[in-house]
Amino acid sequence: MQRFNQSVINPAEFVAALLIAGSVTHASATDIAETTQHDYWPGRDKTIPHVSGDTNFSDTYQDWKDAAAIAAARAAGKASHEVNFKDFRWLVKSLDAELVIDEGREVFHRQNANGQSCASCHGENGEKLKGAYANLPKFNERLGRVVVGPSQIEVCASERLGQQDWRVDTRANSVLDMYVASLSDGHVVDIDVGTDGPLKTAYLKGRDLFFKRTGQFHYACASCHTPPTVGNYLRGQRPTTFFGDASQYPIYHFPYALPGDDLAHVFTLQHQIRSCQQLSRMHQGTEGSPSMTAIEVFLKASANGYPMSIPTQQYNLDTDYLEQ
Amino acid sequence: MMKKLKVMALLALTAAVLQPHLAAADERLQVIREKWTPGTPMLTEFLTLYPCHSEELPCGQLPPPEVQKVSFKGALQGDAKRGEKIALDVRWGNCIACHSLPGHTGGTVGPSLADYASRAPSLDYTYQRIWDTRVFNPDAHMPLFGTNSVLTEDEILDVMVFIHQH
Repeated sequence: MQRFNQSVINPAEFVAALLIAGSVTHASATDIAETTQHDYWPGRDKTIPHVSGDTNFSDTYQDWKDAAAIAAARAAGKASHEVNFKDFRWLVKSLDAELVIDEGREVFHRQNANGQSCASCHGENGEKLKGAYANLPKFNERLGRVVVGPSQIEVCASERLGQQDWRVDTRANSVLDMYVASLSDGHVVDIDVGTDGPLKTAYLKGRDLFFKRTGQFHYACASCHTPPTVGNYLRGQRPTTFFGDASQYPIYHFPYALPGDDLAHVFTLQHQIRSCQQLSRMHQGTEGSPSMTAIEVFLKASANGYPMSIPTQQYNLDTDYLEQ
Repeated sequence: MMKKLKVMALLALTAAVLQPHLAAADERLQVIREKWTPGTPMLTEFLTLYPCHSEELPCGQLPPPEVQKVSFKGALQGDAKRGEKIALDVRWGNCIACHSLPGHTGGTVGPSLADYASRAPSLDYTYQRIWDTRVFNPDAHMPLFGTNSVLTEDEILDVMVFIHQH
């Protein structure tokens, strides 16, 4: 990051030089002309689809790559902002979320008029879905497109169970998503975006969208989720890098509610992307749409190699870091 | 009063002729401000006016806004109290999210502006920084407050008076 440094260059002279250079010749203002309009936030080429890719962005990976590393960093007295704010993000299980998971389990076993439920195909208590969420989003060959968890639930529910009201961003869909994800707790995220195919295409598209500058503020997702913003305080918020976190979604008890969402406390990754878009004054995408799916593929693949942890207490109740 | 209005109208017209890109930004700003009140959530209907992530909507194909170079003429006048309110309001200027300000501790993403006046920056520099920061750093995090119609010129001036005061 190049920062304009007032102690080195007098700003008034700098501006004057720009104006003169601009009016006389383009040649001497080449640097400015070439660099003043970036479509993308820097760092796109440093991403890799694995959680260890964080080392290309922050020097904190060794402090949170597993539970032992987090414990060691804490014992060494490292504060949250020194370890990328990852220390509290997945260690603490959410007890409150058990209620939501119970509700999801109830929906999973709820029978339609023909006595059919999710369990009819996927087994009692989702036996056949264990670990499945660690491989979502995935390419659905029958549909011919990549689907995220909520989209897969919507398709399944409407086509096989006749449940037309379990669409994405509904209570039934969100609690089901949470329940199915909880069946993969501890499974290691593995999204195959290395092989040529729709998933790889989606990953690259999602990566570009993540780094593309958009919205009224002209932010990219990466503006907040790469250093130097990461590790600094955005008022009350603590932005972190995009590596690893997708392994904890859907999350419970995020402090932001979405308009029109009747279950503000379950945040699917699609909800999260929309929430970020809203906060940074970008147009909010439609959940499950190609662009939103691509962003989720990029985020989830950036958690490859990290264990799923559902449900986590994402909203940090441990306030020790404030005193450090 | 009428005379003052006429002078202002003439000035605006002159500005529009000399800097047409400013006039275009101004028009969008007016459309937004007719319906949106500062301090309330931005109305989503206006967000498709800017580049977006979508594949289906035209905003997905919009290029990034053109860089706008501006200069500051005359003496700095404005309402420091209102500037402070704009700078602190999360749904108005929200400078505090990234910067510490005179009398207020804030975020650490941007440099502290608590002692901004003592650094004696030029008005041109400050105005351009707020209006379109890309002139100095194309990868800066700061929103394009002027270019993207986030704040009005009046509001930017008030914020400048606030951060320039000792």
